Amino acid sequence: MRPDVWVVIVGMAVATYLTRAPMFLALAHRPLPPRVRLWLRLVPLAVLPALAVPLVLVRDGRLALGWRNPALWGAAVVFVLAARRVNLLASVAVAVAVVALLRALA
Amino acid sequence: MTPGLTAGARPPCAATLREGVVASLALVPSVFVYGTVFGGLAVQAGLTVAQVLGMSVLVFAGASQFVAVPMLAAGASGAAIVVTTYVVNMRHYLMAATLAPSFRGFRRAWLVLIAHLINDESFAVAVARSRPPDPWIYVGSALAICGAFVGGVGVGLALGGLVSEPERYGLDFAFPAVFLALVAVQLRHRADWFVAIGAAVLAVALALVLPGNWHIVVTGLVVSVVAAWLLPLDAADREDPR
Repeated sequence: MRPDVWVVIVGMAVATYLTRAPMFLALAHRPLPPRVRLWLRLVPLAVLPALAVPLVLVRDGRLALGWRNPALWGAAVVFVLAARRVNLLASVAVAVAVVALLRALA
Repeated sequence: MTPGLTAGARPPCAATLREGVVASLALVPSVFVYGTVFGGLAVQAGLTVAQVLGMSVLVFAGASQFVAVPMLAAGASGAAIVVTTYVVNMRHYLMAATLAPSFRGFRRAWLVLIAHLINDESFAVAVARSRPPDPWIYVGSALAICGAFVGGVGVGLALGGLVSEPERYGLDFAFPAVFLALVAVQLRHRADWFVAIGAAVLAVALALVLPGNWHIVVTGLVVSVVAAWLLPLDAADREDPR
């Protein structure tokens, strides 16, 4: 392996810490204006679908909207169960089982 | 209870901390298995055990680590790997901003440490529980996820990846499943639906045209800023405990 691995790892660590710490330290001790509080309240509602939905609907850079996409069924299952306030662990376990089963059958 | 951690009076945190661990259990198996996969892949790519563990502890951001290892093996320049890591992890800025106000009163030395544990899964668990998120739920979840990941990497180093194709068992789907479940429990007002659906549509559209993880950062920023601009201010202080 190349000699600079540790240098790269430390560089990665610094780069990643720079994405985590500045906002965290800057905003922890400051009273925030209402518009900013509203923004922060909405961030999760924007970030969580942005994390999840492309993982379900985009496969190899293409849209996978067909009924043959197991993840689509898993997503429907977990969404309905969670909305009905079924326990998170149970909802996710059922959805994972559905996806595994559909993939095995495909 | 950890005396001296916070300056102000707070309710006992040990129970809440445990709650954060329990709330993360749906993710622990998948995080663990992906840790073993990473450990197995990274040694196969030629990294030493110390390097793999060092990266997992010091960087502690799974997605960027999976991207970095093949780049390291393929001889990409160090600068390219570091910049790629930064871009893949830029979504942390948004999560850090959202979590930060909950940690008012914590000592700075602890904040420096807790910031390092910011991760998608714990962010999701904490914000779905209450708004604003409870700091101890978040810390409990971060400890569970961190333990599962680093533990998984250790097992993967010792035994090779436990499962060669986690996808066969649907384990990759646990991540979107948890994120979706946590969106579902947060949709209380009509505006919430607009924000979530808008974000889903924009993220998918951007994921089709942008490389890497850009769609997450861009969507998170654009949708939250536009919605915060348009919505009436009274929505800011609407607290919805679960």
